[in-house]
Amino acid sequence: MRRAVFVVLPVVIFFIFSASVAFAQVQTRIRIIQASNVGSNIDSSLRDVHGQLGSLFSFSSYRLLKDETVALSPDQPVSIPVHPGRSLELTLIKQHRHTAEVRVQIKREGTDILDTQVRLSPGRTVSIGGPKHGQGTLLIALSRP
Amino acid sequence: MKKNCSSVSKLLEKYFDREVTGAERSLVEDHLFDCPTCRDALHSMESLRNLIKSPVEEAVEKENLPWVWQKIEREIRLKEKPSWWEGIRDWLDITPLLRKRVLIPAAAVAAILILTTAPLLFKKTSSYPGPSVVEYVESQTYDVMIYELENAKGTIIWLFEGPDEERSTS
Repeated sequence: MRRAVFVVLPVVIFFIFSASVAFAQVQTRIRIIQASNVGSNIDSSLRDVHGQLGSLFSFSSYRLLKDETVALSPDQPVSIPVHPGRSLELTLIKQHRHTAEVRVQIKREGTDILDTQVRLSPGRTVSIGGPKHGQGTLLIALSRP
Repeated sequence: MKKNCSSVSKLLEKYFDREVTGAERSLVEDHLFDCPTCRDALHSMESLRNLIKSPVEEAVEKENLPWVWQKIEREIRLKEKPSWWEGIRDWLDITPLLRKRVLIPAAAVAAILILTTAPLLFKKTSSYPGPSVVEYVESQTYDVMIYELENAKGTIIWLFEGPDEERSTS
């Protein structure tokens, strides 16, 4: 009985460890933002984005349109509507110890208007911006919580 | 011998060895005062001790004790240091997990698991492959510029829709 426990226990632990590595999901935070020069309101949850973009762009207002965290699994695209007619599609390509390689596609009416692959790591934000949105500009901030 | 001699005689040896309590000592001494038989018994014990003590003390005086102690210490040191192989064997004997009957099947199972899952594990847990955050960017609609922020906390991919719409940047 004791012998069986000593043999079975490492096997179980090993399988749990392997499964946790193989099937781990990557949590990704997506913030859809409208940056503009209309007003001077900066949402409190966008201080970090403003801190990063403030030195490059002269937007006075940052408004959070959507804040969503999705779990990405390898080769399984997750689609999020961004703007009427536009959508954001994220696909986990590879997962490393500290980084995740994610393919980001912005589609307009089903056609890719941007196709990129980025490495997301905790504490680092990848922002995609530029397209017009109302009186401002659309920004998409991707990060790992 | 008086009436309570039998009970005192049990205490007599303790009294002789000075192991009695205060109350017991009083009891024995009171009894000895009145009982010549027990006094004789006590004297016999003292005589016997003296008989043994003298030759032992003489033998000890003749013996070279520091030399004997050095010899004992050397023996202790030699016994305290088993060979590394004996140490490993002792350890294996006291560790049930590593006994041969358990160790061999466990090692075989672990080896099979490592061989079957190692490629997957190494693929998934490899270290960070390079410093670039953006692997590639493709757009047929926009001109694209990539900014790497100096503090390494962020990367910006900026899409320029056209010459008239680039002016949002400072």
